Amino acid sequence: MKLRRFLLPVAICLVLAMTYGSVTAGQVKCEPYGPQVDQIIMPIIKDSEAQLIAFNRGDIDVYPGLTRPADINVVKANPNAELTMNYGFHMFYLCYNMRREPLDADILRQAIAHVVDRDNIIQTLFEGYMLPLAAFVPPSSGFYKEDIPRFPYNPEEAKKILDKAGYTVDPATGIRIDPKTGKPLRKMTIFTPTYEVAPTSAELGKIIAEACQAINLPIEPEPMDFPVMLDKLDMAEFDMYMLAWSLSRIPTSLHNFFHSSNDVEAGYNRPGIRDAELDKILDELYYAPNEEVAKKAADEAQVILARRQPYTVLYSRPYMDAFRKDRFTGYVPMHGYGAANYTNKWTTLNIRPVRGKGGTLRWLLPEEPKVLNPCTASSAYEWEVLGRLYDGLMEINPETMEDIPWMAKSWEVGTWEPEPGKKGTVITWHLEKGIKWQDTTPFTSADIKFTIEYLRDNKVPRYISNVEHVVRVETPDEYTAKVYFANESYWHLYRAGGNFLPEWIWKDVKDYKTFEPWLEAHPEVPGLTKVVGHGPFILDQYKVGEYVRLKKNPIYWRLSK
Amino acid sequence: MGFSRYLLRRLGYALIVLFVIMSFNFAIFRLMPGDATKMIIDPMFTPEAIAELKRQFGLDDPPLVQYFKYVGNLFKFDLGLSFSTRRPVVNELKERLPNTMMLFLTSFTFTTIIGISVGVFTASRRGTFSDNFVTGAGLFTYAVPTFWIQLLLLMLFGYYIPILPIHGTMSAPPPDGFLLQFLDRIHHLILPAGSNVIVAFGSWALYTRNTMLEALGQDYIVTARAKGLPENTVLRHHALRSVLPPIVTLIFGALPGMVSGAVITETIFSWHGVGKYLMDAVMQQDYPAAQGAFYLIALAVVICNLAADIVYGIVDPRIRVGEGGAK
Repeated sequence: MKLRRFLLPVAICLVLAMTYGSVTAGQVKCEPYGPQVDQIIMPIIKDSEAQLIAFNRGDIDVYPGLTRPADINVVKANPNAELTMNYGFHMFYLCYNMRREPLDADILRQAIAHVVDRDNIIQTLFEGYMLPLAAFVPPSSGFYKEDIPRFPYNPEEAKKILDKAGYTVDPATGIRIDPKTGKPLRKMTIFTPTYEVAPTSAELGKIIAEACQAINLPIEPEPMDFPVMLDKLDMAEFDMYMLAWSLSRIPTSLHNFFHSSNDVEAGYNRPGIRDAELDKILDELYYAPNEEVAKKAADEAQVILARRQPYTVLYSRPYMDAFRKDRFTGYVPMHGYGAANYTNKWTTLNIRPVRGKGGTLRWLLPEEPKVLNPCTASSAYEWEVLGRLYDGLMEINPETMEDIPWMAKSWEVGTWEPEPGKKGTVITWHLEKGIKWQDTTPFTSADIKFTIEYLRDNKVPRYISNVEHVVRVETPDEYTAKVYFANESYWHLYRAGGNFLPEWIWKDVKDYKTFEPWLEAHPEVPGLTKVVGHGPFILDQYKVGEYVRLKKNPIYWRLSK
Repeated sequence: MGFSRYLLRRLGYALIVLFVIMSFNFAIFRLMPGDATKMIIDPMFTPEAIAELKRQFGLDDPPLVQYFKYVGNLFKFDLGLSFSTRRPVVNELKERLPNTMMLFLTSFTFTTIIGISVGVFTASRRGTFSDNFVTGAGLFTYAVPTFWIQLLLLMLFGYYIPILPIHGTMSAPPPDGFLLQFLDRIHHLILPAGSNVIVAFGSWALYTRNTMLEALGQDYIVTARAKGLPENTVLRHHALRSVLPPIVTLIFGALPGMVSGAVITETIFSWHGVGKYLMDAVMQQDYPAAQGAFYLIALAVVICNLAADIVYGIVDPRIRVGEGGAK
């Protein structure tokens, strides 16, 4: 009886404690204010086994970017973990060399597209953790078009269309005959990276080659050293190859990949597609004056590409991120970027402890960030850190993927005349008042002007495409910036609103390449480095090889009320 | 030949070797297929951006100009800027070298002490259970892949008996106070260094055991025993001393590992060292970083070999006399 009296309250407490955790996790309203944690410590753990162990034993609370099915299964089995899955901008594809016979024939590429069994590939190679994709713009983009010509898995249909087009099977060799030459088709190869470097890609090459052989096409897989393969692609010395792109929500990559002007040595038009109608549409897309024109051009381009199949797109890797739901909540799944990517401002602002307030969040960094200089930082790991120190002029709505005002309360896209008879785009930004750099200096339109001119004058490679067409920047007042471009393009909107540099630190930097701002103390504010942003977190410490520590920005302009 | 001439000759050889390595170092990465800029650019890079990147990397110069610039900079110990980080390679190596040396020296000290001791012990108990057991264990750990043992230890002490840290050289963030920080470092060193010792002690033990067994069959050992010397004295003062020179050679041969690091250990335990740096540099075709790391390793090998030659010349006069023929 005594024991029962003791056990009953204990059991009630336990049930309450467990309920509290499960009810709170993932049920926080997403707000444009924050951050809700006092600091983020980002331990650098490079080995994937060690990452998994660290997550399961509670050394880290956020485990971003899971890719291996075995790891995903382990995380799913952890009752304290929550796994989020979102479409990203990844695209894995099979590319054909349309300069070479017989792959210059649309019908042959369409037949190959018919033998690609995406569902089976995803199930066999990835245990179902990939998303089938046949479109040339990923579904997370607002420019994705669902209604395009498709070539679903159907080997019988593939045989039928080949037979109809005159690619009959030669009884002697068992190989289909090229109707142009009357001879059996030549042997073709699919280049992939080697099994050691990319085992699934190599296996995929083998699977597709076997599927092609089953409809009497003489296609063989050829795994090869990756740099050798890239060289051959640059020289257009291939029949087919398989690789992946990591795209963005802006569909201008279609111009890079499929416009005939990019069919040059080492150009991005690797299939070598030359289609006058497509070129015209891609030009309209690239230089679209507004979103409507861009959308129409993107739709038309996707239809042509889907029909002509310069690529057969196979699948897209989603973002899979794991969180310790027993300790943290408030993470926001976002299409295109996942729940734990730096581009997802919403998780950075809203993630908070399940119990209590503030606290320390431990967020895995799977690689060394190396360079915390916004001009030279190139890897995603560097931006995982830097991305939390800066804000943009616009943000992306996590549900609709639409641009929403952020540091700019509004903007206008207009035109002007750079020279008589020629049109250029002018973007006018109207800034929010009260935004401060982390060292308390006000953020004004002069910062926009300085940054754009600094990047343009110093020819910083990563930003050349953003600023090369900028003619001038005007600042009519502290909170208005007008950026004039020499040509007309709606996409300039995304080229003028990037990461900004504080003038009083960068104006004296002679060589941006060798500047190491994270290693230099701020000249006036103790505790700050020369990496000064205006975002929700401050760079507190980067212990090379060990961890990065970010602290809550106490003067952040969107602090929780 | 006098010692100073012997020394000068060795120094001359070392410089020639270094120069040859330096030149190979330059050529080999440029002969590799691929393009260094390919690892950095993305589809949004315009042709102008790619050209600017090549100009900044110095890849638009003719190869001979690149070579002379490279050699000139090496004399100033300027290893250039890493393509991928745009930071001076010297700075990046400086950040990593202490970690690599700490891991290497700890592992190496324990490996040699344990390996040589076990070798002497098993040689003195040839054919017994302990000899068979230790020899078998040494052969097993030597034969199985390093990463397998390390992953096993990672699972064991990282997850099932979670008493050891599994990544890095310190806690994130480390505790306050020198003593606590020192203990924290030791704590982090146990798993990577311990696994290195387990993997490597076998080869030292087997080598020492075999050379000891050979020595124990020599006449002077029989004489020592016949004189009635204690077995321990025979082992330590007669047999072990006679096998020390080849072991010293091995030690000098292994010392450059202090600089080159251990890629697998550094990767598995997220140890920020030179080995992983070198591997990443090669994979990313980061010429200056790879050249810098290889140059450092080559320098270490040449210096250690030179040191070994000098020590040999000191301890064994026959070597320096034999160099130029008997006088």
